[in-house]
Amino acid sequence: MIRAFLRDRIPLDRNGAMMAGGVSFAHVFGTVLVFLLGIQVVTGIALAAFYSPSATDAWASVAYIQDQASLGWLVRGLHYHGGSALVIVAGIHLLQTAIAGAYKQPREIVWWLGVVLLVLLIAWSITGYWLRWDQAGYWASQVEIGIAAGTPVVGGAIRAVAIGGNEPGNLTLTRAYAMHVVALPVLVTLLTVFHIWLARRHGTTPMRVARNAVPRWPQQTLRDVIAMAIVFAVLLAVVIVTGGADLAAPADPTQAYDARPLWPVRWLFELRVLAGSAEQLVAMAAPAVVGGFLVALPLLDHGMERRPRKRKLWLGALAGLFAMIGALTVASFTRDANDPELAKRQATSEVLATRARKLAVENGVPVTGALDVFKTARFWTARTLFASRCANCHDADSKERKGPVIAPGHGDRAWLLAFLKAPSADQFWGRTKFAKAEAAMKPVELSATDLADLVEMLYAESGAEDLDIKKRDRGLNLFESACTDCHARDEGSPGAAGPSLAGLGSRSYYLSVISNPKSALHMGPANSEMPRFDRELTVVERDALAEYLVWLRTASTQDLIGLGPL
Amino acid sequence: MADNDPDRRKFLKAATCAVGTGVGLMVAVPVIRLVVDPATRTTVTGPTEPLDLGNVDRFRVGAPPRRVEVIAPMVKDGWTSARDVVLGAAWIRRTEPTKIEALSAVCPHLGCAIGWEGKDFLCPCHDSRFSVTGEKQSGPSERGLDPLPVEVRNGRLQLTWVRYKPGSATREQV
Repeated sequence: MIRAFLRDRIPLDRNGAMMAGGVSFAHVFGTVLVFLLGIQVVTGIALAAFYSPSATDAWASVAYIQDQASLGWLVRGLHYHGGSALVIVAGIHLLQTAIAGAYKQPREIVWWLGVVLLVLLIAWSITGYWLRWDQAGYWASQVEIGIAAGTPVVGGAIRAVAIGGNEPGNLTLTRAYAMHVVALPVLVTLLTVFHIWLARRHGTTPMRVARNAVPRWPQQTLRDVIAMAIVFAVLLAVVIVTGGADLAAPADPTQAYDARPLWPVRWLFELRVLAGSAEQLVAMAAPAVVGGFLVALPLLDHGMERRPRKRKLWLGALAGLFAMIGALTVASFTRDANDPELAKRQATSEVLATRARKLAVENGVPVTGALDVFKTARFWTARTLFASRCANCHDADSKERKGPVIAPGHGDRAWLLAFLKAPSADQFWGRTKFAKAEAAMKPVELSATDLADLVEMLYAESGAEDLDIKKRDRGLNLFESACTDCHARDEGSPGAAGPSLAGLGSRSYYLSVISNPKSALHMGPANSEMPRFDRELTVVERDALAEYLVWLRTASTQDLIGLGPL
Repeated sequence: MADNDPDRRKFLKAATCAVGTGVGLMVAVPVIRLVVDPATRTTVTGPTEPLDLGNVDRFRVGAPPRRVEVIAPMVKDGWTSARDVVLGAAWIRRTEPTKIEALSAVCPHLGCAIGWEGKDFLCPCHDSRFSVTGEKQSGPSERGLDPLPVEVRNGRLQLTWVRYKPGSATREQV
């Protein structure tokens, strides 16, 4: 009853479309294109439910889809590679139509609509690529908008409208978003409906003459869905093998990047490279020539003759055009594949991308912008400050080093022992003026066991918990008898002739030393060349450095490398 | 080909529907899984530790309730992380030197913000009134104002931020 109700009201196969030339797998491409469009719409809606079109958020939201939301990578991958599939199948559809002579009278308008749709599909891909606002999408947008800006007379206006003002930013993304998810889908849908409606009115162009018309449903429809299933299987396989769409590091206007356009316009990129100084002219002229030829084809190849071998001239010209586009595309990819320098730069970009995405998962992306995700790395503030304020005098590799080396293991037992044995060694006070002074600390001459006890006692000052209490207590006795002539270890009291060792190596000790090394508690005004930082850095910054120094004590060089580059 | 054989036509129709449905599901399942994903996780993190409301001496004994903004040091919201995010407000009242009470400024009715009207609390959305201690007096609210745990640590007032489901007589944490 329900079936009858529906059949009366939705008369799908009542006067079902007839296939004039019979059913065939040759006729599946249009339907497959509609299917692929459907995938784009459905996956696109899901992605739009996550995407945030703002310069600060866009990359973060895409990274969230890719790396955190369940199956986000799969849906994004289907959308990204599905866009490529659309362009490929549309290209096949176009070639097949051309070979069959199906653009001939009276079907010219169907053909022209198809050509316009192909151009819109490519524009759709391009605007989608911008939205990710990673290095790849950002720089591709810069180049593409740059080409459009080179248009005579109206170029400047095109650029201003496209990026929404003078500089790329929030408005660039909201505009690209409006184009990608509203304007282009609406336009493509309307034109597609018109294209299909017209095509159905005209009927399929029979491949061979004199064949009985056959209803579309179900024989052609079955072929259609089989083709869809095959295309989808390939698409899914590509998505799974590639892990979906890639995502580079967040857009960084200061960081050079080897921008490459999406593959459907890659041939233009190659043509520009080959054209040299005429690149702007070529970039404008080449698409115009190709588009113009496709539009003119039904007019050039007029007459009723549809057999391909009688239309060698125009089919040859079309084949030549496609072959050239194909060759340029292959040439461009081949040149990149054979460029070791490019491979190195891409590997560097890849490391940056992996790092940004890992940090985004762990810490979230700061609302201040996607690039700040790098600043969420552990000890980022401290390491940046160290590099700018401390490394010149304290880094082992610094040619202008003036103070003790600060490196992994700084302040651990081995470090303390080496220091006690030779305080004026090159890696300790060796490069300071103080090392040559009368008051400089002399090597501690004790037996190995006594030295080890003293080291344990000094190590205990840092607050470390892995202590040998007996050794430390013996060390305390040694300290009282051998060191207190110069040093003190009571909180807040300066030594008689040297720095206080209270809390040596602890976070508060480092904070105090960094704040004012010239304090009487530390080296004193005469003996320290290190500037005081209490007026230069905020207490939060100084404390971050102190925390970092504490971490360095137990860190290895590997750990330091593991923190990643700054 | 016996295109008009009814059995064959039946088979073709069934096969078409089966393949079509299969492909449709392959697209629909991941898409639906992705769209409902946020419903299955904590997308906006709240504070995990008590929040500092400043020196306890800011609050005078016997003074009228004082509105204090509740600010989380760090909130992860979907893909972003933000510092110093205002989560809401609390009304603080110090009745005795050692006794401090905090009421959430979120109306237990439908979540509007409560104001102090000189002698009682009023929710301006639907005119629910609450006494100074948070008891329900009039209006549509199903329960009194929600108390929030507070304690004094090292002379500073610490508040634990809790959100309760609005619109029911019992208190259930969100």
